[in-house]
Amino acid sequence: MGIKLFIILTFMSLGLDARPISYSGGSTIMAFSDNIKNSTYYHYSPSYKYSIGVENIKNKYFDESYSYARFTYLINRKNSQNSQRNLYFQSGISSKGLSEYFYGVHGDWETRRLFVGFGLKETEKKIKNYLEQYYQIGIAPYLGDYGDLHTWIMLKSKKNSLENNWTTYPALKFFKGNTLIEVGYHKKINWDVHLMYRF
Amino acid sequence: MKKLLFLSIFTSIIWAENPHEHMHHSHEGHLHEQLVDGKKLEVDPVRFDKFVMGLKNSQIAVVNVQGMVCDFCARGIEKTFKKDKNVKKIDVDLSKGKVLIAYNNNKKIKFDDIKEKILINGQNAIDMTILDL
Repeated sequence: MGIKLFIILTFMSLGLDARPISYSGGSTIMAFSDNIKNSTYYHYSPSYKYSIGVENIKNKYFDESYSYARFTYLINRKNSQNSQRNLYFQSGISSKGLSEYFYGVHGDWETRRLFVGFGLKETEKKIKNYLEQYYQIGIAPYLGDYGDLHTWIMLKSKKNSLENNWTTYPALKFFKGNTLIEVGYHKKINWDVHLMYRF
Repeated sequence: MKKLLFLSIFTSIIWAENPHEHMHHSHEGHLHEQLVDGKKLEVDPVRFDKFVMGLKNSQIAVVNVQGMVCDFCARGIEKTFKKDKNVKKIDVDLSKGKVLIAYNNNKKIKFDDIKEKILINGQNAIDMTILDL
């Protein structure tokens, strides 16, 4: 049972920043894995404006494990007939102490056909601070109806100041019902897999 | 200056118009895309007919929603309305940005209630038309 849960959560990885707040009363479970870390994240949204949650991290770069108490706030949302634009603030305090934390912003704009997103996240650690940045664009090759399997072809570019170089790679996102899976690959970072389940 | 005055009056007139529609329209078993008042309903007729199949003594609220761009948005709206015991059936049409909600005939449908339910999911309901079956 434990192994099954671990596998499910691991395959839920890459898209930790996708839809960081659910609808009011909604819960989300996510997992993420890349060359820097593996993480699992649960959050609950009392309102569509914010979410609170816990993220467990296995940091591969520093070879340590810890958790974050996380808070995400919707700074701004613009709904229009065919699109939605969001800007979020995110933060977290580490189980290793108040001197270890992160904060950042991320935003997206999407229609049923196109997606554009970005994120900036500064992590303060006793060992070394670092900044993560990403940008992504995506296109849906077909428009599915509600409940259908939705597919997105994405191009992602990210940089971690620990490595200090940009990595750009293609990714595929599949989305059906309450579940989202995103898979990307680059020879430097190997597989980039995100999984998200909302309930 | 005159241009500015004209612009102000014109803007005031636009703002003074009620953006929400809460009109009742008679419906006779299939969808009229153009209502009796000339307004276009913009609901997929095939989808609508499938939705109303088997429904009797009902009224359908056709709600125009902004920001409904993915299944997660739609799912939240569906879950919220399904908790309402007065709701007999709900359908979300992502392509048209419409939510169809079937209520009992004796229920007084309030647009403000619907707007609030959609807002707590993070979207905006901008107008509503009620069709009587």
